[in-house]
Amino acid sequence: MKKLALSLAAALALALPAQAQSKYPERPITMIVPFAAGGPTDIIARIVSENMSKTLGQQIVVENVAGAGGTTGITRAVTAAPDGYTIAMGHLGTFSAAPATYPGLKYDPINGMTTIGLAGGTPILIVAKKAFAPKDLKEFVTYVKANADKVNEAHAGVGSVSWTTCTLLKGQLGVPKLNSVAYRGTGPALNDLVSGQVDFMCDQIVSVAEQIKAGTIKAYAVASAARSPALPDVPTTKEAGLPEYQIEAWNGIAAPKGLPKEAVDKLVDALDKALNDETVKKRLLDLGTVLPTKEERTPAGFAALIKRDADKLSPVLSAAPKQ
Amino acid sequence: MTEMFANLSLGFGVALTLKNIALCFTGCLVGTLIGVLPGVGPIATIAMLLPITFGLDPVGALIMLAGIYYGAQYGGSTTAILVNIPGEATAVVTTLDGHQMAKQGRAGVALGTAAIGSFVAGCFATLIIAALGAPLTKLALLFGPAEYFSLMVMGLCFAVVLARGSILKAFCMIMLGLLLSTVGTDLETGQERMTFGFPPLSDGIDFAVLAMGVFGFAEVLRNLENPETRDVVRTKIGRLLPSWEDIKQSIAPCLRGTFIGGTLGILPGNGAVLGPFASYTIEKKLAKDPSRFGRGAIEGVAGPESANNAGAQTAFIPLLTLGIPPNAVMALMVGAMTIHGIIPGPQVMTKNPDLFWGMIASMWIGNLMLLIINLPLVGVWVKLLQVPYRLMFPAILIFCSIGIYSVNNQPVDVAFTALFGLFGYLLIKLGFEPAPMLLGFVLGKLMEEKLRQALIISRGSFMTFIERPISAGLLLVAVAILVIALLPSMSKKREEVFTE
Amino acid sequence: MSLNKIEAARGWRIRSTQDLAAGLFMIALAGLALFLSRDLATGTLRQIGPGMLPKAFAWICAGLGALLAFNSLRYHGEKLAGWSWRGVLFVLGAAVVFGLTIRGFEIGPLKVPQLGMLVSGPLVVLISGLAAEDVRLKELVIFAIAMTTGCALLFKYALGLPIPLAPWLLGI
Repeated sequence: MKKLALSLAAALALALPAQAQSKYPERPITMIVPFAAGGPTDIIARIVSENMSKTLGQQIVVENVAGAGGTTGITRAVTAAPDGYTIAMGHLGTFSAAPATYPGLKYDPINGMTTIGLAGGTPILIVAKKAFAPKDLKEFVTYVKANADKVNEAHAGVGSVSWTTCTLLKGQLGVPKLNSVAYRGTGPALNDLVSGQVDFMCDQIVSVAEQIKAGTIKAYAVASAARSPALPDVPTTKEAGLPEYQIEAWNGIAAPKGLPKEAVDKLVDALDKALNDETVKKRLLDLGTVLPTKEERTPAGFAALIKRDADKLSPVLSAAPKQ
Repeated sequence: MTEMFANLSLGFGVALTLKNIALCFTGCLVGTLIGVLPGVGPIATIAMLLPITFGLDPVGALIMLAGIYYGAQYGGSTTAILVNIPGEATAVVTTLDGHQMAKQGRAGVALGTAAIGSFVAGCFATLIIAALGAPLTKLALLFGPAEYFSLMVMGLCFAVVLARGSILKAFCMIMLGLLLSTVGTDLETGQERMTFGFPPLSDGIDFAVLAMGVFGFAEVLRNLENPETRDVVRTKIGRLLPSWEDIKQSIAPCLRGTFIGGTLGILPGNGAVLGPFASYTIEKKLAKDPSRFGRGAIEGVAGPESANNAGAQTAFIPLLTLGIPPNAVMALMVGAMTIHGIIPGPQVMTKNPDLFWGMIASMWIGNLMLLIINLPLVGVWVKLLQVPYRLMFPAILIFCSIGIYSVNNQPVDVAFTALFGLFGYLLIKLGFEPAPMLLGFVLGKLMEEKLRQALIISRGSFMTFIERPISAGLLLVAVAILVIALLPSMSKKREEVFTE
Repeated sequence: MSLNKIEAARGWRIRSTQDLAAGLFMIALAGLALFLSRDLATGTLRQIGPGMLPKAFAWICAGLGALLAFNSLRYHGEKLAGWSWRGVLFVLGAAVVFGLTIRGFEIGPLKVPQLGMLVSGPLVVLISGLAAEDVRLKELVIFAIAMTTGCALLFKYALGLPIPLAPWLLGI
């Protein structure tokens, strides 16, 4: 007991001066990734954080805290002390979709955290099994509307990127009640798409690009403004006739609200340097990632992106028949 | 055939460079270490080591990471045998007879059998992958939700055979495991189920938390209560390595296990987890005296261990040939490959033959290394059992606590494990066995998911399970297992009643 | 049924307290599960709701429990054995303390800062060690320090896991 009391006293004594000092960062920084290791967000976090560590002169340790569509990890990150030693890599789902998907959410992505910047955008593709009847996006739209009772859509679970983006698509097509088959993650869903058990799904380019190249599944369109260099033959939704379906699964860094300006500046600068690094650039481009613009790399630009997509998604997600 | 040898020699050419051998050895060593530590799984470790591999070439990096994976699979059995803690679902079966052997002073024999069985399985699995890897992927694509559901039903029937005592109590445990598996957010609607509104439960109960609670912690409580049983382990130290007699007994189970585990491992829906259970079931049914099982039968270690290792290796097939990861560790391997610029897909085999065949060859080398690392370690492990129990269990506790914490970096998981420890202790007091519950738990999640998928796709028709030939076949096997398992025990039960 | 007749003639009585308790335990758990899943939609076969399987499993559990309890009145079996509170208290308590102190916690007015493994580690060993009847305090203290040092080196440095050591002292 004495030992505990002593250590408590020591903790208090040391906590105070630590905050007063100004040489950020002087110890390792924890970057919380709210998903399992190996997923798209985790990969981007590890590529970017490795280079940021060099600029900051302190190791950024990636900590995977998975759960509840990523909201468990983000909750922990943005409710931590605003000292710059806990940051998080979240994505479209955790920052823009979560308030509408999870009514009991314990953080406010718009007003309750400090945004640092966007790390990368991941294009979303509409893909289907090889034998699916429609040949292009226009036929797909008519076919799905006409055969809403026959078509099976696959997604990687409520709250996942594929669920969020496909719910948006179904909302825009006016078929919110389409048969949707839930899988635990993208891998099993993709497996059943390849083997033809389900008809179509929406997912991030990094998960589906190789299957498209190998011809095991087909892609109708990419929901970005421009074609992806990784898949130059796949048209954009604008070109293929569904211009209103525009969505990207971006990943970006945020921290608790009230972060000191010094820490924000240093993190923004480190992120920018990382994104200008040739190796990082190459690795991200290999994944099909769209590098963020100058504006999106700033806290304000990233915050605007979160707000824009939240406004786009929340009416559809709140009205979705599930949840 | 010639093509296979050409491919294998290409692979060995890649894997047998000094650097890659060293990386393979490092991977196996780290893997063994984290496998032995309860709770710390390959996922956390591979994730942490990813940045270190940035500087390596992709083939070397993946050889090392793969080494960690199957090294951990192997190391997990050590903990299962020595202290009755299954780190992963596949090690649950090993606790049944392996730990009993340890209690009888045959820990060395059990560990040796596991090592040799794993090696033999590894050798055959390497050959299977090399010869049949590409055609076997078609098998994976034949399995839709309906087939998986039937496979899970078949798996649950194995659980009945696992039971040592009352069949009725085994059924209770299976159902309880299934019930526990439904805790957490519903996959399709996102609704919270039976979580008491408590956020840490929203993703369900973690396998490591449940297994370490009902096996590890409950075992500590049981041992504290019976000082005499735990001291048996300390005083009796038999031979360190299996005798010729032991090896002869293990050969057939080992080969059957390799076949079963290797086949199930190819299925992308984590079929590998069923391997050890299936192998155990078959060995128990084939044995002349099934009552030895659960009391330290060497076949109950040799078969499942071989199945486990073969499955761990063939699990790479769907990843390497389809680009689809069958389980969480393989998903992480996808991440590792992606970071190194190789995005897994159906074309890896043709686009990166050196990577594909290099990894396969390295698996064989890795298995040899595991044998070299582990056989001398057997003596060390057995010595560890001589630590007085009053120090042994606090050590188990600190390792488990840190290990569980590191699974999800969630402190509350440690408290949950304690709760499940209490639950496990209660189960012991009530005469229940936890192994069938864990199988029910592992299969439950997948079973519900697949059942719902199959019924959505078939628009609510149960006929889908019978109309599809593979699914119907699996269900028939399930019925057969159940009948075989229940008939003798029913008559036995009657006998017991008569002799009352 | 020759031998059993005499037994049977004595009518139904509790012949295995363990089985009876086990049956009641299953029924209680099933009841809890049914209560917790009462608001979950059962759905239809075409679209199975979130509540269908939990409820189905719970009912089967209850049924099996009832059968077990019923059998305990007919067949002989084990008696319910005693319960060792000392082990439960210290061993499980130690794990709970580890969970509470490793990253700190807040429950109402109670607040513990993030103590890290250098504090939580020895606490686990010391508290759980008290569960053994042959505990030797001095040995345990030395062991606790040695184990914590070993674990810190192993987990934090050799394996590089992101586990806090002593944030209040070392900043990591």
